[in-house]
Amino acid sequence: MTNTVRIIINDQTYDVPAGMNLVDAAKWYANDDIPVFCYHPKMEPVGMCRMCLVEMGTIEKDRATGQVVLDENGQSKVRWMPKLQTACTTTVSDGLVIRTQTQQVQDARQNVVEFLLTSHPLDCPICDKGGECPLQNLTMEHGPGVSRMAFSDKMRLDKHVPLGDLIFLDEERCIQCARCVRFQDEVVGDDVLAFHERGRSLQIITNSEPGFDTYFSGNTTDICPVGALTTADFRFGARPWELTEVPSICPHCPVGCNISLSTRLDRDFGGKTLIKRVMPRQNEQVNEIWICDKGRFGHHFSRSEDRLEDPLVRERSGRLFAKSWTDALAAAAEALKAAGSDVAAIAGSGMSNEDLWALRQLLAGLGSRRLGAWPPTHAGAEVVAQVGVGQGTNLGQLGRGDAVLVIASDLEEEAPIWRLRLKQAADRGAFLLVMNARPTRMDDFAAQTIHYETGEAVQALLALKDSDAWKQLAEAHNLVIVAGAEGLSLDGSRALAGAAANILLETEHVGKPNSGLLAVLPGANAMGLHYLGFTPAATLDIMQNPPKVLIVTQADLLLDDPTAAHWLAKVETIISLDLFASGLTQQLAAVALPIQSFAERDGSYVNGERRVQRFYTAQGPMGQALPAWQALSRLGEQLGQGTAKLSAAAVMVEIAQNVPAFAGVSFKELAKVERQYPDVGGKDLYYGGTAYRNRGGLGIQIPTAADQGQTVARFEAAADEPPKTRGKLVIVPSVRLYNRERTFRPSALVHARVPEAYAEINSADAKKLGIQDGDTVEIAIQNAPALRVRAHVNGGAPKGTVIVPRHLSDTAAPLAVTVGEVSKAEG
Amino acid sequence: MALSDKKYSQRIEAAFAKYPDKRSAVMPLLYLAQEEYGWVSPEGIQEVADLCDMDPTQVQSIAGFYTMYSEKPKGKYWLQVCTDLACALRGADEFYEELKAELGVEDGGTTEDGLFTVEHVMCLAACDKAPMLQCNFHFMENLDMDKMRAWIAEKRAEAAKAKK
Ligand code: SF4
Ligand code: SF4
Ligand code: FES
Ligand code: FES
Repeated sequence: MTNTVRIIINDQTYDVPAGMNLVDAAKWYANDDIPVFCYHPKMEPVGMCRMCLVEMGTIEKDRATGQVVLDENGQSKVRWMPKLQTACTTTVSDGLVIRTQTQQVQDARQNVVEFLLTSHPLDCPICDKGGECPLQNLTMEHGPGVSRMAFSDKMRLDKHVPLGDLIFLDEERCIQCARCVRFQDEVVGDDVLAFHERGRSLQIITNSEPGFDTYFSGNTTDICPVGALTTADFRFGARPWELTEVPSICPHCPVGCNISLSTRLDRDFGGKTLIKRVMPRQNEQVNEIWICDKGRFGHHFSRSEDRLEDPLVRERSGRLFAKSWTDALAAAAEALKAAGSDVAAIAGSGMSNEDLWALRQLLAGLGSRRLGAWPPTHAGAEVVAQVGVGQGTNLGQLGRGDAVLVIASDLEEEAPIWRLRLKQAADRGAFLLVMNARPTRMDDFAAQTIHYETGEAVQALLALKDSDAWKQLAEAHNLVIVAGAEGLSLDGSRALAGAAANILLETEHVGKPNSGLLAVLPGANAMGLHYLGFTPAATLDIMQNPPKVLIVTQADLLLDDPTAAHWLAKVETIISLDLFASGLTQQLAAVALPIQSFAERDGSYVNGERRVQRFYTAQGPMGQALPAWQALSRLGEQLGQGTAKLSAAAVMVEIAQNVPAFAGVSFKELAKVERQYPDVGGKDLYYGGTAYRNRGGLGIQIPTAADQGQTVARFEAAADEPPKTRGKLVIVPSVRLYNRERTFRPSALVHARVPEAYAEINSADAKKLGIQDGDTVEIAIQNAPALRVRAHVNGGAPKGTVIVPRHLSDTAAPLAVTVGEVSKAEG
Repeated sequence: MALSDKKYSQRIEAAFAKYPDKRSAVMPLLYLAQEEYGWVSPEGIQEVADLCDMDPTQVQSIAGFYTMYSEKPKGKYWLQVCTDLACALRGADEFYEELKAELGVEDGGTTEDGLFTVEHVMCLAACDKAPMLQCNFHFMENLDMDKMRAWIAEKRAEAAKAKK
């Protein structure tokens, strides 16, 4: 940092960056934990609780000469303020002097705690926060020890107020710090919480419809300094001191939030280790200390009823029978031997890097290089590898003078934490331009929005050059372009990423931190798929030219793609490695091998910012399921490809030796941590809330070609041919965060918030087709069963376009943009 | 019944005209809502939120903070009796007790006929004319129970007449 100022804390001198908050500075530089309740390092100070009182003064200077005035002992003289001051509302300045340990300060702290406790129930023995509660800790450290409160004065208030489906408020426990209110307002931009009444009657309320219902609501329970806010998931679920924290990575989207799985041996899980809750784990470059509610509440799939627990082999009768691993692997090996090299694989983006490498090796041994990535909806990964956001990027640093362009993505639904962080970047002054064919939530935070015709994202991007916005992008200090694939074919998504890359190249926003491309890829490990050689183009090829044997790993073909049954019919044998027994396994697999979810094994993912991140074994095993890498390498052993690997770490060693992108990566390197600012976690819970210290590693970001100083040539960025509609409508699939995917459906507590299957139809189209808002309609596309959904005639969809969110019902919605017919359904 | 009624349009416009952004007009509009519904009702909150482009939670929060907004239904006449020090010295407490007894209600209560709501408040800055009260934001000063009884009877008669 550039400007520093000199301050004195408890008689020690420190040089700290100008403009820093005093609480933060004392903690970071002087290791002095000034107690706080309302202050939070991620939000603006409000000075409401008075816990942070300190003695404060300034070094006296002679007004005439500007010289420091000395006292009789030759020490510089301090002009003390007559009363204690709140440290949290103080910004450091030259000559600032504070004392944090004097009797006066200690008395003040004791008084504030005592004051708070006069209206606090102290029901710690039944409080979820008990054991990791800032109020509890600070009471032990600074409180009076004995209560003077008259029991008859106890406040009796409502202890179970649902603020929404997921968060409950205990009015007695709230200490009115407004952290939750400010989080919703400042960080999220949904001011659905507020104070009501005043003084001792002050309470948190929500009066919004449908209540406290944002995708980020769970974070308030972490930063709440008491047990006033609790989640429906963890309420009365366990005591914090019984829990073991296991570092992990959220498996739901490309952000790759660092999470901590709180586990314990649990009766409800046959005495095995069970995930009791999901908490954020600090990684300032990835998710800071936040996670979205999908990440927090979407862990139940790891032990859903639908989990595949035994290897299955389909017999001549067509029925599946449970077999031993040995028999099932033998059956799979036999099918593979018979097929020779006419083998292909499709891997889902929930597979770890180790799994993918084992799969790739297996196919290489058989002489096939047909490696498909699933779902094949976004081809931007290869462009990201060239000009992705530079190494060391931290979206939290974007601000004034920088620019962000989001195109063809509904970021709130597809990558919530990116949306959260980019909203804050806009608040800090970054120029945010949002482009899409339809309005999205991101529009609310944008400085400018551009709505283009469906499918014309590339044209719109090319046309930017002649617009007013161009200057803002070209001259920005840092420029990040976030490219999705909504409304685009696979080729279209490649062209869009290419066109975005060209802008970055032309304006010299590549190969440096905080500039470059981010692709909103599907799933947690889409970049891993890319680096390990799995491509969506190969998937399309497999769909066109089906192999004799197809290995499908953790890919929900039938539920993702309504035409899957059609093209899979030409495959002779399907070997399925899956978490679930329904879908492909149930209907089509000749051999099905049960594999472990992210919760039961260790491994690594590469997030959308190319950060390789490690997750650890947290939950007890499900049936006989094995990690996919192990199942695959044992299958390889059966086929005479050498002995099976023994650990995920060993597989990573092999990857690092063979795949240049992973050079230098090892489980040990991935586990490295360093002190992060702000320093949350640790013993002073009160500072950041229960956002856990990162003990599992910060990961390693793979450099782009541009980072390595290679010259990157311009990309082909020819605009997509608009689909030939011939009087039909363009069907555009979209993504909803809360849906009925098998990896989310088992989280029953979120069901009420999963929308009923619907399609958005433009009012002009609806009128022509005689469809009214709320009608049930049928959407028919080629080679697929008709999809029945409710029509939303709300103007959200552009004319000629029907927006169909994927995964809202058990019938697959179109996987990629296509044309189709919409008609009112009978009955 | 709603703020969309024509009779309010001018006053709503005037409120907006006073401030650089819509949000700032929330307090005058809440008064209108209170006038319309007799209290700051949920419909009123929603209407004000829509008018000011705010989340209804924030509007409710403002209504809750200021005591001049009532979040409970009130009688037609909202009697706020000052019982603060200066008034107390001139018998406001006794006056308040008698008034409650006369109407047969507790502090903050509303008479069965829905006409009168009584509550006590802090200094209204008319200490020299105690006992005093504020009825629907208009002062009634130098009171005694005889005057009050006559006034109550008058209002009851008016209401009975209006009913017919
Ligand atoms: S609920 Fe928690 S975070 Fe919100 S104001 Fe109360 S104590 Fe603070
Ligand atoms: S933003 Fe994505 S990675 Fe982060 S918690 Fe949510 S779903 Fe998981
Ligand atoms: S007043 Fe400073 S932390 Fe609350
Ligand atoms: S004390 Fe009653 S009006 Fe001032």
